[in-house]
Amino acid sequence: MVFSILVLGAPFNSQSAYSAFRFVEAALESKHTIYRVFFYQDGIHNSSAIATPPQDEFDLYQGWQDLQAGYSLDFVTCIAAAARRGLLNESEAKRHNKDNSNMAKQFDLSGLGQLVEATALSDQVITFGQ
Amino acid sequence: MNQPKTKKILIVNQSAPYSSGNAKESLDLALAAGTFEQDVSILFTGDACYQLLAAQKPKEIDSKNLSQMLKVLPIYGVESLFVDEQSLLNRNIRHIDNDLKITKISASESRELFQSAATVFRF
Repeated sequence: MVFSILVLGAPFNSQSAYSAFRFVEAALESKHTIYRVFFYQDGIHNSSAIATPPQDEFDLYQGWQDLQAGYSLDFVTCIAAAARRGLLNESEAKRHNKDNSNMAKQFDLSGLGQLVEATALSDQVITFGQ
Repeated sequence: MNQPKTKKILIVNQSAPYSSGNAKESLDLALAAGTFEQDVSILFTGDACYQLLAAQKPKEIDSKNLSQMLKVLPIYGVESLFVDEQSLLNRNIRHIDNDLKITKISASESRELFQSAATVFRF
């Protein structure tokens, strides 16, 4: 089965981001295909490069980054949702004249068209809500 | 981007217009899906009914007028707009914006809408 995943919740704030992470792991272990993971609304916070959870807690940010690298997954963060919430990669930071960027390199910034395309090309889209 | 095939997408909107980003961000998704020529329907239910009121004045709270954005949906190929009749009744909303081409539907009709959709996005 070809899945795409829509993540709408921020880590810690809601359980949904962690549930999405575990779902992606389980799907991959069961030899399913993850076509794309799309981060939208507050879900964009999962792609932060600087969030630092306490050391005795699970680091979901690192978890996503390792998962992407381990399976060469396509992680896309909505560019409009991210910019308005203060998450920019280097080129976006430059474009908006900001001093710093704060987005992990395992995530690509792109538009909602990527979610629409993933929907059209996957068997199932699973949403993990806010 | 690959040329996507067409899928039946239902966007369920259950949020009031200006209390969160849901209304705006669901609309953005509807516009994107319309632009990529998907078969998009939007169902307004619960507090999303308030998005359909005429004469909104969101300038007072420095917000963009979402009902103006709803009116451009047909230009992007999104023409199937539905509102849950019972949600309107529950809120005593008798008049929705005349400029919106939107169909009032019953609970059983909205069930059919859900059943016929390949993918449902809920905001």
